[in-house]
Amino acid sequence: MVMSKKKKINRRQFVKKASTAVAGAGVIAAGSGTGLSLLSNSASAAGHDVRKDILKIPGVGKGSPTDSDWQKVGAMCLGPTKSRVSKGEFKGVELTFMGLNNQNLHNFLFRGFLKPWEKYTGAKIKWIDLAQADYNARLQQSIATGTVDFDILEMGAPFEGDVCGKGLASEMPGWVKDQIDMDDYVGYLKAPVGTWDGKTYRISIDGDCHNFNYRADYFKDSGLASAWVAEGHKGMWGVPRTWQQVQEVSKFLKGKKDPTFGGDAYGYLDPCKGWGGFGFYFLASRATAYAKHPDDPAWLFDADTMKPRVNNPAWVRAIQDVIDVLPSQPPNQLNADPGTTAFQQFLAGTGSMVSWWGDVGSMSKTSDGSVVGDVVGFDILPGSDDVYNSKTGRWDTLSSGPNFAPNMAYIGWGVYVMARVDGNSKKRKAAWSAAAHIGGKDISLWASAYPSGFQPYRNSHFNIDEWVGAGYDKAFIKSYLESEANSYNHPNAAIEPRIPGIFQYYSVAEDELSKIFAGKHSAQSGADNIAAAWEKLTDQIGRKKQLQLYRASLGLS
Amino acid sequence: MSINYVGTDHIPGQRRTLGKSIILISSVLLALFFLIQFLYKSDSITFGFDNWRPILYMYLIWSVALCYGLLLIKGERGQRVLFVLPAFLFTIAMVIFPLIFSVYISLHDWNLSAFEGQKFSGLDNFKALLGDEYYWNSMLNMVYYLLAILVEYAIAFGLALLLNAQIVARKFFRVAFLLPLMLSPVAVSWMIGKSLMEYRFGPAATLARQLGWETPAFFSTTEIARISMMILDAWTFIPFMMIMLLAGLQALSKEVNEAAKIDGATGWQHFWKITFPLMLPVSITTTVIRIIFKLKMADIVINVTSGGPGGATDTVTSFIFREYRDRSNVGYGTMMAVVYLIIIIILMTLLLKLLNRWMQKVT
Repeated sequence: MVMSKKKKINRRQFVKKASTAVAGAGVIAAGSGTGLSLLSNSASAAGHDVRKDILKIPGVGKGSPTDSDWQKVGAMCLGPTKSRVSKGEFKGVELTFMGLNNQNLHNFLFRGFLKPWEKYTGAKIKWIDLAQADYNARLQQSIATGTVDFDILEMGAPFEGDVCGKGLASEMPGWVKDQIDMDDYVGYLKAPVGTWDGKTYRISIDGDCHNFNYRADYFKDSGLASAWVAEGHKGMWGVPRTWQQVQEVSKFLKGKKDPTFGGDAYGYLDPCKGWGGFGFYFLASRATAYAKHPDDPAWLFDADTMKPRVNNPAWVRAIQDVIDVLPSQPPNQLNADPGTTAFQQFLAGTGSMVSWWGDVGSMSKTSDGSVVGDVVGFDILPGSDDVYNSKTGRWDTLSSGPNFAPNMAYIGWGVYVMARVDGNSKKRKAAWSAAAHIGGKDISLWASAYPSGFQPYRNSHFNIDEWVGAGYDKAFIKSYLESEANSYNHPNAAIEPRIPGIFQYYSVAEDELSKIFAGKHSAQSGADNIAAAWEKLTDQIGRKKQLQLYRASLGLS
Repeated sequence: MSINYVGTDHIPGQRRTLGKSIILISSVLLALFFLIQFLYKSDSITFGFDNWRPILYMYLIWSVALCYGLLLIKGERGQRVLFVLPAFLFTIAMVIFPLIFSVYISLHDWNLSAFEGQKFSGLDNFKALLGDEYYWNSMLNMVYYLLAILVEYAIAFGLALLLNAQIVARKFFRVAFLLPLMLSPVAVSWMIGKSLMEYRFGPAATLARQLGWETPAFFSTTEIARISMMILDAWTFIPFMMIMLLAGLQALSKEVNEAAKIDGATGWQHFWKITFPLMLPVSITTTVIRIIFKLKMADIVINVTSGGPGGATDTVTSFIFREYRDRSNVGYGTMMAVVYLIIIIILMTLLLKLLNRWMQKVT
């Protein structure tokens, strides 16, 4: 009953509540969290009105934006283009844009954003829309067969090795850097991300990291708190801060009842089923705190030999953690992929902790499928009491406390211009102008605040006032944005290697992990199998070049 | 009535020479284009085409020239050849050439991300396949899945007998039983595998709970997941077997049935001694077609379990799909597909021969 009542909270009702809360609060304070204190007031005085105005289109809680809304936003954000391109300057230029059509977002937004740009500049854009599942294969085929038939490409940073590393992308002109205000990017999206051999290729339009989503009601529940003490657990009952605590809490919750919805209580939710390579990110999120040492930028491969670290004690410990906690997880967990853990379990009221991209936070209050909007909390990924030092082969306990290493999974979407436009200066300028328009500072704020498929990724996106002004609940948005900002700006963030074929490595690992979780291999022997398969893959792709690109992606010479 | 045979004697020599010349010139041009492109792509010469498309165009021109040349040379007999030749040339282009090309690709180490592109590797992919536990695991799974056809056949036969009898709403049931076959396997995956069999709220799980299974999870252990997958696939394809068998039952001679009744045969004797033997040819055809369908099983597995847990539900096709789509491993993926094709051809040939011999003995 409670569930059905909760389920009926929709976006409109949420905004009403949020508005009431804001009115009650009276004052909207500037960001005061650790991660946000540095980030407020980033909007320029001149840009402020535009930002405020676009956030009213259509207004949070007033239904999903439509094509006309996207066009309006695109038109209102044309200022930077107009200052660099004269009207009709690109007449006769035709560009081809390849991107995704996930959930009718991505390219659908870009079409709307770019219509006013096309009208103003005179250029025409042709579109290649791809489903997520077809994207990797289409891109790889284009690269391998030398049939790059697009001028602008929406692409994730992990593919930079395949594209930029092979000289297929166009170097970003200096004026684009000024137009999009690259200094506004959060720390981890700055170079080396988006660069190869010192050259910049990418306009970021998204930021990606895994954060920690938890059910606050579990950790405020007095019954569970009493049981925790009664069962002799150390410390107070509260939100776990380390993976060791996550393990303990997950095992403790077995056999207990969900404090809000009354069903079986569960702790952390592990996705044990493959997801086209994307499932590996979730083991990585468990492993980074163990494997990413603050003194070493590498955590997945050795930076000197390209030898996989996936079978070192840190990774094996993360795999073993999953094995240990599986009996405490929902009965069908072996067949749960990340989509299941986030949307069918956590948001639907099953389980109390999950790692995911920002989608869980952005959907928890706005999706009809979510029942946890009022009881959800956010943090960076848990840390670990000790961290494995690959250089010494020992576990270090840091004097600063637990080791935190947020997983910058996927590093977000970006827009790239292909090298094939370089021979035509007019076309090159047109392509970069179009890319700069959709990657602009103001337009990106709108994309972060409304359904777009993109997370916040600029320092200026973390000005809570702007979000509250658009209709978001302050406490909620503060918690959500802090978890994102503190992950992005973490000094020990684990940056994903941008090497060719990275998803092939992940896909192979998924198959082996499935066997480990099904009990066919031990954590160590399964991890050894993954490492062996990765070594083979590295040799197949080309070890020398792979190592060179890996080092470049880590910012090493 | 007499059949007029049209020979080639009446065709002028000049015309025949022209026909032969057209065929010869077009053949030489095709061979030349192919050779140039091959040498260019293997870096032996410096001129050639950017891609192989001109060779395809040349093949089309050659095909037209061949047909026209034969017409000039053979006259009316050439016209008769034209009834078959275009289809043959089309088959070469669309079936035989891709098959040969697949074998060629399978002999290469070709990962789409590899810096050096494709490299000839001889039988390395085959050797790797022999030691690939994932491939042989999925092959073993295929044996389990194929054995399930026996159960499917028994159920389908029972349903066909039922629908062949004079039951109420017979037409309704015939259509109703056919519905699963009309559904896309992807829809079946979501409707049944991910909704009805959902472990918390799915009706199948609720029913299982009421029957005493405390924590019903249909894809949580290797054995249960494999059986669940068999049930999902059977639910889709039993109607196909049923409709084939029903058609066979309806074609049986009524006189034989009536004679058996007059002779006092019991229901079981009637089925086992008369209906079943008479239905053997239909049964074999149905089962063989079903085996071919089963060998291609992939979509349900990909959607519901991705081959898990631990490879328990993997099929050869779903594994090949992962190797291609997720790992861009074109050379190895093609080798797996080629080997699978050869195994299927050998097995099906043996099966048909054995069945043929058995049928001859029985009849």
